[in-house]
Amino acid sequence: MVLPSLLVYLFVFGFPTILAVVLSLSNYAGGTMFGGAPWQITGFQQYQRLFTDPYFWNALKNNIFIVLISVFGQLPLGFIFAYLIYRRIVKFGEFWQGVLYVPAMISTIVVGILWSIIFSPYGPLADIANHSYANAYSAKLAGIFQATGGLANIDALTERIIQASASTITKVFTDPAVELKQFLLSYNLGDSSTVQNDLVNLLAPRWNADFLSKNNIAMIPICFVTLWMWTGTYLLIFLANMQKIDRQIIEAAQIDGASEMKILRHVVLPSLSKVIANSAILCISGSLSGFALILAMTGGGPARITQVLSIYMYDKAFMGAPDYPLANAIAVMIVLFSLVLVGLTFAFERRFGGKE
Amino acid sequence: MELYGAERPGIKHYKPGTVVGKTVAYLVMGLFAFMTVFPLVWMLISSFKTTTEFRTNMMGLPIDWTFDNYRNAWKIGEFDKLIGNSILYTAGSIIGITFLSLLTGFAFAKIKSKATKPIYGGFIIGILLTTQSLMVPLFLEVTSLDRSLGDLLRSAGLVGPSEFRLFHNTRFGVLLIYIGSALPTGIYMCTEYIRGIPNAIIEAAQIDGAGYFKIFRSIILGMTKPIAMTLSILNIPSIWNEFALINILVSETSLKSLPLGIYKFSGGLSSDYGKQFAALVIGMLPMLLFYGAFRKQITAGVSMGALKE
Repeated sequence: MVLPSLLVYLFVFGFPTILAVVLSLSNYAGGTMFGGAPWQITGFQQYQRLFTDPYFWNALKNNIFIVLISVFGQLPLGFIFAYLIYRRIVKFGEFWQGVLYVPAMISTIVVGILWSIIFSPYGPLADIANHSYANAYSAKLAGIFQATGGLANIDALTERIIQASASTITKVFTDPAVELKQFLLSYNLGDSSTVQNDLVNLLAPRWNADFLSKNNIAMIPICFVTLWMWTGTYLLIFLANMQKIDRQIIEAAQIDGASEMKILRHVVLPSLSKVIANSAILCISGSLSGFALILAMTGGGPARITQVLSIYMYDKAFMGAPDYPLANAIAVMIVLFSLVLVGLTFAFERRFGGKE
Repeated sequence: MELYGAERPGIKHYKPGTVVGKTVAYLVMGLFAFMTVFPLVWMLISSFKTTTEFRTNMMGLPIDWTFDNYRNAWKIGEFDKLIGNSILYTAGSIIGITFLSLLTGFAFAKIKSKATKPIYGGFIIGILLTTQSLMVPLFLEVTSLDRSLGDLLRSAGLVGPSEFRLFHNTRFGVLLIYIGSALPTGIYMCTEYIRGIPNAIIEAAQIDGAGYFKIFRSIILGMTKPIAMTLSILNIPSIWNEFALINILVSETSLKSLPLGIYKFSGGLSSDYGKQFAALVIGMLPMLLFYGAFRKQITAGVSMGALKE
């Protein structure tokens, strides 16, 4: 009865794991694997290559970053929300729960593309920011026109406009004092509203929201979206388990005068420690293999800076000339890395977790 | 009469601090809920704008509502084919996962054998691994096996000279790997559930002369409907939305699933916002409807699925 499952399991997990270890120690370069062109075990040189590749360390760093954000972002947030609902500190628990879980139902590809549009320089974030910049600037201009008497007093107007647009004016005019005056002179006296509009278009500060193309901040949107997507899941898990706690214990604690913090610390947290540890494991293995989100958001770019281990591996195996031994070495590293983290989580729970 | 004024235990007493606390709590919750819903609504609204209108009127309602985006995206993405494939992959995998998990879970839970412990442990390790991290060796496995089997059968004269496909670029291969990926969790959940069924029922059937397969068919299948339901409900969205594996397992459009079709809209078409948004909505809608229909069961299932020891 176990046999069919076992065969499928070995096909999908067992054999590939062995294959990954074997090939990571070999010089297999594609082609027929069994009984074809010969390939042989060549030792640990792939790992040596891996450890000297700066892109590997970069991918590992990003991965650790995402794991940390997931474990110390999704779990606490989910827990806080669950607690607020559980203790009826906020009403309409069902509603919040229902809404916050929605992102987990949507395909990661859809989520990734959607947020990459939102964070793009032509996206709504930049649009909103630039609208507000433009509005502020146009208010400033209106004030200047009022104070100086508008186009009738060109010299004063020019001077004040140059003052007010210090950050952008040199990008538009090389010699603002002369050129801006010329520009203003080209309008008729009655055109002051047209002139103001044109000036806003020309000189209002613009925010180039290139989150996903700037090296040092491209990981921020990715981490944000990770939080956005999965916090609701942990909210669900924690809430369901809180609801299993015997209400009488909490009521008894309240009668004894225990504060909300004390109830949280001494009743709710200890009885959830196992669930928290399990969620952490779920979270770690999920964020380590997280692949589709980054592929859809940045594709690992710009210049491979947002690569995580799985994207790095994908790149090595399927983009350009395939480097299967190295890609397999990465797969082995991912598996080892996740086993280490899971082990740590277990140890942590055993040491600090509540007794049952 | 006095009793009505008495404070019952369990009713909270309001201190001045709680009002502030509550306001903050509502604000944070509200902000998060807003951040969840707003991008999705914005995406839906934007899908009815032309790309030109989207550029100039990014946040407002469309001035001219257009359905062209959907018509075009549907055609470019070839979604009519992909949706059929997605349904097939999801339904096939769910049936396979549920049946195999129940069968194996029954064996682990109720048939005493020395082999149970190590094999069960082997499956449990699979919960910690993800097939995504194994995608390169998996790809090499399926392609190499196809090639070698093809050579073998060809030399025996059993198949023609055309490319031999069994695992790679076939629906069978996708189903097999989807089923395998979900088996560890499924088997774990089913084993734990079936352990809760009293031994007496099974022993009574055995006395009546029923074998294990008969017991499985006539007793276990009927009693495990709740867990089968939970398992299916948990796996439907994850398989429907799966991307990383099918991305390497299938390269022909006629075999692709919905997420692969949507991914097409992230690259070269990325400046054509109208079609892009329409494609995203097409990708999002089926699972949102599923969520709407089964929200209660999904909520219960998710919290159960996380109860791994």
